[in-house]
Amino acid sequence: MNILLCCNAGMSTSLLVQKMEQAAKDKGLNARIWAVSADEVKRHIDQADVLLLGPQVRYKLSEMKKEGEARGIPVDVISTTDYGTLNGKNVLEFALRLKK
Amino acid sequence: MTGFISFLENRVMPVAGRIAEQKHLQAIRDGIILTMPLLIIGSLFLIIGFIPIPGYSDFMSGIFGDKWLTKLLYPVNATFDIMALIVGFGVAYRLAEKYKVDPLSAGAISVASFLLATPYTTMFTPEGASTAVEVGGVIPVALMGSKGLFVAMILALLSTEIYRKIIQKKIVITMPDGVPPAVARSFVALIPAAVVILVVWLLRILIENTSFQSIHNIVSDLLVGPLNALGSSMFGAIIAVLLVQLLWSLGLHGAAIVGGVMDPIWLSLMDQNRAVFQADPTGELPNVITKQFFDLWIYAGGSGATLALVVLMILRARSEQMKNIGRLSIGPGLFNINEPVTFGMPIVMNPLLIIPFIIAPIALVIVSYLAMELGWVARPSGVAVPWTTPPIISGYLATGGKISGSVLQLVNFVISLLIYYPFFRLWDKQKLAEERAETKSAETSVPL
Repeated sequence: MNILLCCNAGMSTSLLVQKMEQAAKDKGLNARIWAVSADEVKRHIDQADVLLLGPQVRYKLSEMKKEGEARGIPVDVISTTDYGTLNGKNVLEFALRLKK
Repeated sequence: MTGFISFLENRVMPVAGRIAEQKHLQAIRDGIILTMPLLIIGSLFLIIGFIPIPGYSDFMSGIFGDKWLTKLLYPVNATFDIMALIVGFGVAYRLAEKYKVDPLSAGAISVASFLLATPYTTMFTPEGASTAVEVGGVIPVALMGSKGLFVAMILALLSTEIYRKIIQKKIVITMPDGVPPAVARSFVALIPAAVVILVVWLLRILIENTSFQSIHNIVSDLLVGPLNALGSSMFGAIIAVLLVQLLWSLGLHGAAIVGGVMDPIWLSLMDQNRAVFQADPTGELPNVITKQFFDLWIYAGGSGATLALVVLMILRARSEQMKNIGRLSIGPGLFNINEPVTFGMPIVMNPLLIIPFIIAPIALVIVSYLAMELGWVARPSGVAVPWTTPPIISGYLATGGKISGSVLQLVNFVISLLIYYPFFRLWDKQKLAEERAETKSAETSVPL
């Protein structure tokens, strides 16, 4: 399971990555989770199974969705509450649900 | 207040979204990012060159010889002074990428057309002479840096548009099968490159016959002058900050959206200061408003100057929720990342907290601008400090080693703390009441 996160500079999403990795570990799930800036997504999306956007870059959703659809990868925006509270567990579950 | 939020949602957000998604603005923003690592590295050398310790300069010349500073600043020249070349390449690359045509060729063509627009002459005063003479056969460094930034950007957009239109119309030389792809690609670029060069060449010849003499002069007279005047004014800064805060109030990355339009202007204002500072570190710097002005003096803790709010949450919060978010936010907050506060508290879409979130940074713009304009606080020296550098340190470094830069950051911290305090109190009280009500209902619902 490869989960790619993106926000403007990949800074705040990288905070979330740590929490999600912990949540994955607790679940015994083998996942690669990483964060990049929005303009780097194109170089990383081919390695991803799912792409999640930080809510502050949700204006990029339609553009990112196009990239995702071309590769059969689900793309969506992380809920603001989970994002703000850095709820790794919820976001991980959200990613797993999307992938299904 | 709900009316205000729905106004933001229905009116401001769609416009912001369209601006943020606009291909050319995106290409400019992403292309400019290419220069940032270079500027930061160049800045390191700039800082080392001008450490404000008495006797430092003599000490250095004692060890490394008289020319130590010139030699130390070689990397500064090779980073700041070629900004336009890098941006020209970067913007064309990013735009071509969006059109899904070969970005490398587009970048190369863009650099060539930028140089084609630039006269290969410079004015030089020989030693002992009093008048400058024109010297040919040189690439003028002055126009490769921030002075050429807008020309490079405009030509990058123009050349890439021509390039991709011709490619997309399939007016290209196709090589037979068996020719290596890299070779085939360079032939594909041949016709569009020829057209671009022809267009820019004709443009230059045409302009040379007018009183403007060069594309650089036209752009600087008609575009850069007015833009700089707007971008360097306190009024312009307040409007920019207001927009950033309104967008963030909706949960959109305001700084990225507004920066997409304003960064080229703020970057060239910053470099004007750098050029003066490098020539004479005690000289008066021309601009207050630069890129660092916002990153380091207005947005301590992230957009909205939320570091003070986070400190309040840690020291004074009574509700568990505020305490928790405070603890979660302080680490990233010191490095000016504040999404846990904006989304977690939340400030986004929160009619109460949006008020200080908008007022605080605007107050800081006014205070900082006046303090620098009146000469109480050193202006940003053009040293590119990364926006993630913690306050106090960043203010010292970005002013070229002046304590007043740090002092203003402290003062600004206190101002934002005072502005946030009453609103924080109200919100914390409300959260505490909610928490108490919950525990109470939990207690009463337990069967006895």
